[in-house]
Amino acid sequence: MWQRSRFISLVLFALILVIPVGGITLAQDVVTIEWWTVNSEEYSEEVQRALVEQFNAEHPNIHVNITVLPESGFTERMTTTLGAGSGAPDVAFFWDNNWFPQALDLTAYIEADPDINPEMYFEGFWNTRAVWQDKIVGLPLGVGANFVMYNKDVFDEMGVPYPSPDWTTDEYIATAVALTDPELRRWGGDRPRGPFRAIWRNYGAFPYSDDSTTVEGFLNSDAAVAAYTWLWDLVASGATPTPADIEILGTEGTGPIDLFLAGRLAMATLNQGHVLTAVESGVNFGIVPEPQIPGNERYVNAWSLTASVWAGTAHPDEAYEWLSYWVGPEGQQFLMENGQFFPSLPTVLETHPDADEDYVQAFFQVLEHRQVAEWVNAHPCNSTVLRAAVDAWDLINLGEIERDEVEATLDSLVEPAQAALDECVGRLGG
Amino acid sequence: MLAAWRRMNPLARREALEAYLALSPWLFGFVVFTIIPIAVSIFLSFTQWTIVEPPTWIGIDNYVRMFTRDPLFWQSLKVTGLFVLISLPLKLVFGLALALLLNNRLPGMNFFRTVFYIPAVISGVAVSLMWMWLLQPDTGVVNTLLDYVGVRGPNWFWDKDWALPSVALMSVWKVGGSAIIYLAGLQNIPAQLYEAAEIDGAGRWGRFLRITIPLLTPTIFFQLIIEMIDSFKVFTEAFVITQGGPLRSTYFYMLYFYEEAFRNFNMGYASALALFLTLIILATTIFINYTSKRWVYYESE
Repeated sequence: MWQRSRFISLVLFALILVIPVGGITLAQDVVTIEWWTVNSEEYSEEVQRALVEQFNAEHPNIHVNITVLPESGFTERMTTTLGAGSGAPDVAFFWDNNWFPQALDLTAYIEADPDINPEMYFEGFWNTRAVWQDKIVGLPLGVGANFVMYNKDVFDEMGVPYPSPDWTTDEYIATAVALTDPELRRWGGDRPRGPFRAIWRNYGAFPYSDDSTTVEGFLNSDAAVAAYTWLWDLVASGATPTPADIEILGTEGTGPIDLFLAGRLAMATLNQGHVLTAVESGVNFGIVPEPQIPGNERYVNAWSLTASVWAGTAHPDEAYEWLSYWVGPEGQQFLMENGQFFPSLPTVLETHPDADEDYVQAFFQVLEHRQVAEWVNAHPCNSTVLRAAVDAWDLINLGEIERDEVEATLDSLVEPAQAALDECVGRLGG
Repeated sequence: MLAAWRRMNPLARREALEAYLALSPWLFGFVVFTIIPIAVSIFLSFTQWTIVEPPTWIGIDNYVRMFTRDPLFWQSLKVTGLFVLISLPLKLVFGLALALLLNNRLPGMNFFRTVFYIPAVISGVAVSLMWMWLLQPDTGVVNTLLDYVGVRGPNWFWDKDWALPSVALMSVWKVGGSAIIYLAGLQNIPAQLYEAAEIDGAGRWGRFLRITIPLLTPTIFFQLIIEMIDSFKVFTEAFVITQGGPLRSTYFYMLYFYEEAFRNFNMGYASALALFLTLIILATTIFINYTSKRWVYYESE
């Protein structure tokens, strides 16, 4: 009896010793992944926290710790943290191409993962946001694109036919002029927000050569002169708001949605987020791609955000596990169903709650065009060269030069743009 | 230093140790947050560093480029210099004028002092957005008021000739902060000096020129240095409103520095730009300090 009690005591004592140790062992097996994200209309904090909770519940060995940062300061925070070489998150948006050297090469993970493959994503976004220097540096999350939204009521009121998807840049100006009504303080259409975006590309214009060596013959090519001259014609037509009007009356930095909703702008170059706002506002609108040049290949300003694993992570396997969940079909489906999010996976996008609506169908069609980002992402000195050549843009927008001075102005900018290109290529490569 | 330490008696040593101990938190902060970053910045200015990859030593190339091959450097330096020349005298004069008004003994003066001080504590971004609205060419308050009196207002921030004066105008609106410092200086001037001058027959203007201004010169000297540094560092207005345009008419030095550092990933060059600006401010401060012997009067003199 005494021996039996002693045995039970020993077992109990051993259990007391072992249970906490076992508990500690289990606790140590849970790997914490630091995840930095932003809070925006597209990526709402509430929805992202719910997604993390779902993931953590399904993956008891991984705990994702979410840090939500303001969108405006995210770039600076990531840049400085990556520069410091420590303290970077295991998983985050790597939306700046200059961060890619510090992203983990996911090629081996993708090859071994039966649930993720490049063909799942829109080809254009995969090429521009996932692949860099022949490595897979991340996965493309979400899609966005610019297109022209037009107010059907204003068109009907003015007796102007709706634009067709294959309309031209000349038709854009003619339509904008026909819709403009100075008495109502209404403009027909907005002006591009910068050069060498969709319309410039539709003209076949590039700021410099594809091999990043030459500006002469590109910045001042016939195609570039034609694109800038088209802008000159649009500005001179008086059918478009001035930069001051856009800055003040269009409170969103991404496009003049307020002017459009107020009926003061009959056509506006906006994006899919604005579409949802317009739907909620009850505006009667249609969507067409930005105008084209007959016979030329057609481009669209489209974007997706790269989500990556930091190369310095101590837990690459678990970090990839979370990344592939977040950016894979399950995560993007969740984000789409619970927020204002459009996924970068066509099969998921097709199941959008409003997939049968005209505007979503039009959005699908816009995404089929080639992307401006293909060239921009492959040329890290693009913005540096455009900064050196900004005078042409400013002079035209301010009405400071005559139509026949456009070409000479571009010619005069070749030299500073070439100097900027040479300096930049030496630093960031071509 | 060691010899001096040995010569000290035990009590003096203890006092010195206690003093250093009390100073140590500040010294630590000064070394970690000022000395080391400056030293690192000097080092980085001789490198090419894209932030995410290790820096590469390139000697004085950044400085050579700055002075010989970079038109944006000269443009930003010119614009910033012009801004300092326009805004600094305006801020000094209007700050003093406001302080003179606020120095009157009138009912409710504390209310006005508070009201005029408020712009100095409002966020620069909020102030910028407010001025964007005020100076909007077609619907802004300023041009609407000008319309009433038959004057067609300019395009302000959106006109290459008016953008820089518009930013200068904004900076003048914030003189409430400096007015408070002037006010403290004004209130330190002994009243009996004014009484004596009045008995001697000095008028208002004479008292202002011969008593107020000379006795206020230490405050003016302080304000000159502080406002000069502040003017050289102008950034928020251009970043929020003009992005350096139109036609680079508001392309301030700090905006260029920011673009090089955080948009162009050219941290080595940005460090060289930062160091050069520091040298300009240092040289200007030394020059002002040197001239101060001729125009700054202290009560003890």
